[in-house]
Amino acid sequence: MRLNLIYQYSLEAVKKYSETELVQLLKQRDQSAYSYLYDNYSGALLSVIYNIVSEVELANDVLQEVFIKIWRQIESYDDAKGRLFTWMLNISRNASIDTVRSKGYQNSQQNQELTDAKQEAAGSIQLSVDQIGLRKVVHQLREEYKVLVELAYFQGYTQDEIAKMLDIPLGTVKTRLRSALIQLRTIIKE
Amino acid sequence: MIIEDYISSGIIESYVLGLADAQEIAELEQFRSIYPEIQAAIDSFEASLETVALSNAIAPAADTKDKLFLALELQDEFINKTNTIEPDATDVKEEAKVVSMPLKPIPAKSAKMFQYVAAASIILFVLSAALNVYFFSKYKSATKQIVALLNQKNALYTDNQTIQAKYLELNSSLQLMSDTNIIKVAMKGIPGKEGDLATVFWDNKTKDVYLLPNKLPKAPEGKQYQLWALVNGKPIDAGVLEDCNGVCKLKNTQKADVFAITLEKKGGSPTPDLSQLYVLGKVSS
Repeated sequence: MRLNLIYQYSLEAVKKYSETELVQLLKQRDQSAYSYLYDNYSGALLSVIYNIVSEVELANDVLQEVFIKIWRQIESYDDAKGRLFTWMLNISRNASIDTVRSKGYQNSQQNQELTDAKQEAAGSIQLSVDQIGLRKVVHQLREEYKVLVELAYFQGYTQDEIAKMLDIPLGTVKTRLRSALIQLRTIIKE
Repeated sequence: MIIEDYISSGIIESYVLGLADAQEIAELEQFRSIYPEIQAAIDSFEASLETVALSNAIAPAADTKDKLFLALELQDEFINKTNTIEPDATDVKEEAKVVSMPLKPIPAKSAKMFQYVAAASIILFVLSAALNVYFFSKYKSATKQIVALLNQKNALYTDNQTIQAKYLELNSSLQLMSDTNIIKVAMKGIPGKEGDLATVFWDNKTKDVYLLPNKLPKAPEGKQYQLWALVNGKPIDAGVLEDCNGVCKLKNTQKADVFAITLEKKGGSPTPDLSQLYVLGKVSS
C-alpha cells in the first residue's frame, strides 16, 4: 500500500499535459507524450487488468498489449464519446477477457492451482484480487449484485448468457444489473 | 421522458463500463447531445471511475515499459533517462602510450633493496599458490554441491510433473463424477467375489461409457477385463479395459439394463464367458 502511495506521489510530480493536449500529441505520434501516458496510466490500467487476469506476469503482458493497441488505435479514439481513460479502460477490459478465455490461459490455470496451493501452504502473502481496484468496490455490493457484475463485467458474459447460466429471467438480470451499477456508482462517489 | 429517472436508471454506468447493448448505446448517444444533464452525468461517472482506478494503481513490472518500447521500436531515450558513461577517448590514448625506459646499471645501494623485494615476492608467490590450492578445493566442493542440487531440483521437477499429471487426471474424473448427465452404476462383486467393485459412468446424452475399476484383481497374463451392457438380458460388448490410470473410456453404448464385467482373452470375446463373471450392477432408471 505504501509503495502504491509513493508510486502515486511520483506521478504527481511529473504531471504536465491536459487531456486534450495529450490526445492531440498522441495522435501526432509524439513519443514523449506516449511515455508520459504510460507513466501516468499504466498502474491504473494494470489494476483493472489484474482484476481479470489474476496472474501478475501475464497481467503485465496484457498491459503491454493494451499499450500497443493504444498507440496503434489512437486515431479511432473520439473524445465526443468519452474520456481517454474510459477508452483505455475498455481496451484493457476486452484484452483481459480475451486472454482469460484463451485456451492457453485455461490450461495454465489448471496447473497453477497446484502451485498456488503450495505457495499458500508455504505461507507466502499474495495480494488478493478482491482487495484492489474496481473489484474492491464490487466486493462491497450485495451478494446477488456481486455475482452479476462479476459475470458481466469481469468475465464478459452477455446478459442473455447470464440468464441461462443462473436460470433466472433475462428481465431480472437486466434490472438487477442496473441496480447493481447504481449501487456501484454510489460507492465510488463516496 | 423524465431525465432524472433516465440518469438514475443505471444506463449511464452500463454505457461507460461497456455493458450496454447496441440499442441502449444508440439511445444514449442521441440523448447526450440533446440533454446537458445526461452529458454531465456521463462525465461525472467517467471521472470518478478514473479516480478510483488511479488511486488503486499497481506499479507494473520494471521491464514492461522497456519491452513495450522495444515492441513498438520506439527510441529508448524516453524509457529512462540514465545515460551510460562513454569512456573518454583521450584517456584511453594516454594509457596506451608506451613509456620507454633507458637501461641503466643497478647501483650497489639498491642491490640490497632488490634482495628484499625478491624475497617478498617469493613469499607472496608461495602464499598465492597456497591460496590457489585452497580456492580450487573450495571450487571443487561447490561444483559438487551444485551438481547435487541440480539433481535434486530435477528430481523435484519430475515429481511435480507426475503430481500435476495425476491431479489433472483426478480432476477430470471428478468432473465426470459430478456431471449431472452422468448415470453412475456401481457394479458389486458377485457372490464369491464380494470384495470386487467397479463403477460405470454412463453419459445420458452422449451415451459414452467410462469405467472406474475401483477394486479388481490384476488381470492375469494374456487376459483382459471386458465390459458388457445387458439389454433384456442380452449381453452386448461395451469394450475391453485397457491399461489406463483412473477412469477409462470404453465403447459408446446406446442401451443397457445392467452392466457387467467378465475376464476374457486378450482383445475381448464376441460373447461373454459367464463363468468368469466378476462384478455386475443394475442401471437405476
